[in-house]
Amino acid sequence: MQARDESFVGAKLIIVFKWSLNPDRFLLRIEDMDQGRAHPLDNQELELLLQRCAARDRAALQLLYTRCAPQLLAVLMRMLGTRAAAEDVLQDAFIRIWEKAAQYDQIQGRALSWMVAIARNRAIDVQRGGRPTVVLEAADLAGAEQLRVVGPADGAEFSATYQTLQHCMDLLAAAQRQCLLLAYQGGLTHERIAQSVGQPLGTVKSWVRRGLQSLRSCMES
Amino acid sequence: MNYSRPDLLEQLAASHVLGVMRRGARARFERLCQALPIAQLARQRWEDRLLPLALALTPVAPSAGCWQRIQQRLGAQPHRKGLGWWSAAAAASLVALLLVGRLTIWSEPDWQDRAVLATADAPPAWRLESTADFGEISVRSLNVPALPADRIHELWILPVNGGNPVSLGLLPASGDIRRKLTAAQQSLLAAAAQVAVSVEPTGGSPTGVPTGPVIIVAEVRRPI
Repeated sequence: MQARDESFVGAKLIIVFKWSLNPDRFLLRIEDMDQGRAHPLDNQELELLLQRCAARDRAALQLLYTRCAPQLLAVLMRMLGTRAAAEDVLQDAFIRIWEKAAQYDQIQGRALSWMVAIARNRAIDVQRGGRPTVVLEAADLAGAEQLRVVGPADGAEFSATYQTLQHCMDLLAAAQRQCLLLAYQGGLTHERIAQSVGQPLGTVKSWVRRGLQSLRSCMES
Repeated sequence: MNYSRPDLLEQLAASHVLGVMRRGARARFERLCQALPIAQLARQRWEDRLLPLALALTPVAPSAGCWQRIQQRLGAQPHRKGLGWWSAAAAASLVALLLVGRLTIWSEPDWQDRAVLATADAPPAWRLESTADFGEISVRSLNVPALPADRIHELWILPVNGGNPVSLGLLPASGDIRRKLTAAQQSLLAAAAQVAVSVEPTGGSPTGVPTGPVIIVAEVRRPI
């Protein structure tokens, strides 16, 4: 029994020793301190990480990546169709986030919105740079239609926005809702949406326009 | 195209964020955002509004090599290595400092960012914060524009009902100030969408409403 205790103490000492040699230990400590304190996508914490990126702190970029890359990759895979294309754009996006972090200070929106916009904009550039966009088939459309806004993904502060958007999306006519989801999540242009849903371009444009107007007035009321 | 029409800007910003614009129109709107802060603001609002649609998708873990490739593209940065005992002591002090810092912060009110006060063509002049209940404001000077000796900046609430601006007091030329608000100021600021900064004679506006040029109008941020 005593021998087992000694080996247990020995093992702990080895862990402590290894920790003291580990160049990433500060990073690990920060992560440990994060646990259970706030949601990984908490806006204030992401803002702090972006400020540290602006001060050229590479560890902050890695933390930002750990927290946000899975959500950004989900968005990019939906838009681009394959993991390979999505991961290429994900890398571009994080390079841009690193390069533009100092500009975030002058932005009034949420940190995650800013990062999602950088990723989506890059994906749209890639998508429209000549490679034909996949036209979603009826089965995909059914999936898009069933997509529900679920939350909260950003702590209590954001759950109200989630609920509001969900409520307002539910109030839209089904065709308008479907067009908005195809555009935002699928990254489709008016023309591609028209092809996907088999409706004239003018009809789709007016569904999108009216859908956005209704969404805005609903979310502001 | 008349970009001063708010409904048109909203429409363009929404179409841009949604991603339905063609390449030419997209690029034009992006240039417009750089020239016109109100267009940029409309775009940010739509990015915030539609963010839940991005978060509704189930996260996907990137493959292991993805982060390495980002690091490679950024160029290798040497790790600090082998500082041994001293760095362990430094880490312990850091943790202690952080703990003390947090204990101090706990006794502070919960300050929230409310507005970045900036003119269209210059870096932010002040940062406005308030307590969660808007009972107290704090203003931090950043890059305050220069003024003649007999002039001073004054901060105003622009009430949502379109009534006259209500003063929140004079702004510092440097340093930070804190100010407790009256109940009337508190409720107006809590409801306001915008604040403004005007240039006034030393001592502030003699009439109770802005008399000099309004150099900044900023949106009031609140948790959404």
